[in-house]
Amino acid sequence: MPAYVPESEDRGGRRQRGLASLFLVLALAVLYMPKGGQQDLAWMLRASLLRPFLTLQASVARARLRARQVEDLQVQLDSLSATVATESALVDENRTLRSILGLARRVGAAFRPASVLRPGTPGSESMFLLDVGAEEGVHEGAPVVDAYGLVGLVREVRPHTSIGLDWTSPDFRVSAMLADGLEFGLVENRRGAFREADRLVLNGMAYHESVEDGTPVLTSGLGGEIPRGIPIGRIDGVAETEAGWRKSYWLRPMVQPASVTHVLVEVGKDTLDLSRAWPVDSIRTRDEALDEQRARADSLAALTDRVHVLRARVNELLRAGGDSVTSGAPGSSPGGGT
Amino acid sequence: MRGRAAVWIAVAGLVLVHFGVHVGVGVGRGAPDLLTVALLLAAREVGVGTAAGIGFGFGLLEDALTVISFGANALSLTIVGVLGAITRDLFVGDSLAFLLSYFVIGKWVRDLITWLMMGEAIRQPFVDQVVVHGFVGGVYAAAVGLVIMAVAGRWREVPR
Repeated sequence: MPAYVPESEDRGGRRQRGLASLFLVLALAVLYMPKGGQQDLAWMLRASLLRPFLTLQASVARARLRARQVEDLQVQLDSLSATVATESALVDENRTLRSILGLARRVGAAFRPASVLRPGTPGSESMFLLDVGAEEGVHEGAPVVDAYGLVGLVREVRPHTSIGLDWTSPDFRVSAMLADGLEFGLVENRRGAFREADRLVLNGMAYHESVEDGTPVLTSGLGGEIPRGIPIGRIDGVAETEAGWRKSYWLRPMVQPASVTHVLVEVGKDTLDLSRAWPVDSIRTRDEALDEQRARADSLAALTDRVHVLRARVNELLRAGGDSVTSGAPGSSPGGGT
Repeated sequence: MRGRAAVWIAVAGLVLVHFGVHVGVGVGRGAPDLLTVALLLAAREVGVGTAAGIGFGFGLLEDALTVISFGANALSLTIVGVLGAITRDLFVGDSLAFLLSYFVIGKWVRDLITWLMMGEAIRQPFVDQVVVHGFVGGVYAAAVGLVIMAVAGRWREVPR
């Protein structure tokens, strides 16, 4: 630590104070500058100084996936039982990609696949980066979806990248309807006591109508920005009633943004209705889909066990039948049948 | 002079590691706020104007990764830079108690100002974000800062 030497009042000290005031004014100016200017400045920094770190994140994500695959291969070589125990990560990744592929077929060419990156710095919790941008046809306000429903909306578009905000953002608002298309409302984010307690709420529902828990809520397409029929969540109880004329409901979201790695982004503005991509009877969350698959695998395993038991029983019966035939045959010795 | 160079190398290293860990590898709150530690270290070496400039630059980098509260980090780190540099004229010597409180309070002030500037719609409750996370983050940052100062040879109980 340098020895205590007061700064010269005439030169150094005054210059330093002037500089400090200048930077404080600049910081305030940045805080209150127009949104467009802020976005340009942020993009410039992301495309220059921060680019290596963002590239690193993409590489780390790829390396993680590769490492997982290598591990899985190694485990498969080691033993079949170990494979069964550890292949879940690869299976999970495959499931995500397959579901995205399946969805891509259903929604058609109006959506493009993209990878999701998250900055991970304080204050950027609701934000994600996409590796597609204006050159690929992405536009501001475009919906970002995965196989289970709406992940968020594109907020800012650059030539080859874009920035989206998921439903945990306080700015998230989507016009919505119940699955039957009769009741309309507005879905928005409601802050919880802490970040993990953030929830979605469906506002503006008629007081006299009661909606059952579990009813799917979809985008309504009103306003023309977001196509109709994308699942947002399921009704999860009444949030509040207001003066006997309005009700709002909690929603259990279809998508948990933190677990999303691959998505589809709308690239045209022509899509009006996506109801066919998510038929009401096929709407489910990731956990529900996993439970369903697990139940299917369990019943398959039970059936396989039953087949083995029956086969063993048939073999036993055949053997017993053979024994009785050979023991009853003339000239054969007792117990000598095979 | 060599010690001074070591501090600047440590500051540059901390900035790189901060963005490498938070952005590159994607570790969230599990990693300490090394950017504030780097600023507090640098602020003890320079005048208030330079410290404000460094804070402003660091804040802009952090703001480039947030969409909703752009500018909050720039302002908070500029103020922390100024305050950090002022402490050089107010406190002589680097006792353990002083350095510990310097890093803890520095980080806590940064969190407090960021929280104030974020806007009511997006900020977390005061107790959660400033009192609990700010204090724990401050202690975490102080531990890292003390290690760096010891390694860089800048931690001396008695001023020269």
